[in-house]
Amino acid sequence: MEAVKKIEIVTDSAELPNVIRALEDLGVSGYTVIRDVEGRGGRGIRSGDGFTDVFKNSYVMTACPADQVAAIVAAVRPMLTRFGGVALVSDCAWVKH
Amino acid sequence: MDLSLVVDNVLSPPILFFALGAFAVAVGSDLEIPQPIAKFLSIYLLVAIGLHGGHALSESGVTLPVVASLGAAALLAVVVPVYCFVLLRRRLPLPDAAAIAAAYGSVSAVTFVAATAFLQSSGIPFGGHMVAALALMESPAIVIGVLLLRRSAPAASVRGGLGAILRDACFNGSVVLVVGSLVIGFITGDRGWAEMDPFAHDIFKGMLALFLLDMGLVAARRFRDLRAVGAFLPAFALGVPLVNAALALVLARLLGLGEGDALLLTVLAASASYIAVPAAMRLAVPDANPSYYVSMALAVTFPFNLVVGIPTYLFVIRWWWG
Repeated sequence: MEAVKKIEIVTDSAELPNVIRALEDLGVSGYTVIRDVEGRGGRGIRSGDGFTDVFKNSYVMTACPADQVAAIVAAVRPMLTRFGGVALVSDCAWVKH
Repeated sequence: MDLSLVVDNVLSPPILFFALGAFAVAVGSDLEIPQPIAKFLSIYLLVAIGLHGGHALSESGVTLPVVASLGAAALLAVVVPVYCFVLLRRRLPLPDAAAIAAAYGSVSAVTFVAATAFLQSSGIPFGGHMVAALALMESPAIVIGVLLLRRSAPAASVRGGLGAILRDACFNGSVVLVVGSLVIGFITGDRGWAEMDPFAHDIFKGMLALFLLDMGLVAARRFRDLRAVGAFLPAFALGVPLVNAALALVLARLLGLGEGDALLLTVLAASASYIAVPAAMRLAVPDANPSYYVSMALAVTFPFNLVVGIPTYLFVIRWWWG
């Protein structure tokens, strides 16, 4: 196993393409997306509407070496400031296969 | 006024299902339509109305009245967002004024679909080209709203170039679906309609009822958002559709449109977008508050048009047209 950093981002669904673009521009080789994420945060309850993404969140998870975290956080922070959301960084172990 | 039109409309199954959705929220029920199903229902409705319109257009052909109707639709799509923005900028931050103006300059496909169902129930014919009017009126207001914001406040936060905004406005999912289905219905004509009839016609009312059940749930939830914003925005959401309906009625009368086409043009003008515009505005004008423009369109204007507006506009048309 290899020590890596796990980054979890909950973002406004409208902002998801920009988050993914930022990750790809920084050379992130893989990520996982879960759409239509609901919950509660600084903007109140995000329940979705079924036919518009305006009140929906998306969840993005990626893992990267520790030296890549600062650049990813710097790219994502302005989006979180504008649209709300949350980014969490944690230590984890990657199961090599 | 002939109240029987309103009563018949209110007592139709789709409207009662809308009321059921609102009632479920009011009493705190756990009733919920899963989001993918709600999305599927909206896709179904857009495809069905597009196919129906395309088939009808293939039968009638493109005539001078058809072109005149589409011209009136285009004119309304330009005039409404401009005057709404002028009214709103006095009371609201510019991004909010632009987003609300765009929402009210654009149209609600579901209100249009409900109006076609109302016309079918009443036995009133309408032209398939009005579906093209629906598609035509979706996008201009988005572009105009953004341009008005840029012109009024060059420093305002508008994301993306004009090309990106045009792409979002003209090729958003609902426009592509309606226009594409319209073209498919037009190309395939009677043969295509015969094949699609069980799907696009026979089950249409039931699917509309299910979709309106979800709309009732969503509209009732959004209504809570408006309780905190004071009286101006709800008043705007009720008053402006009436002004827009009056503009459309005058145009329809001048052009000599039939009852059905006049009603659909009026409904399009009086409705507000809560799908295409919010999606585009969230990207182009992120500083605008979606709780304003979505909630106004969805929780006030949509129910008003659905329950009271549609039969009232028909009553005025019948009275005026004689």
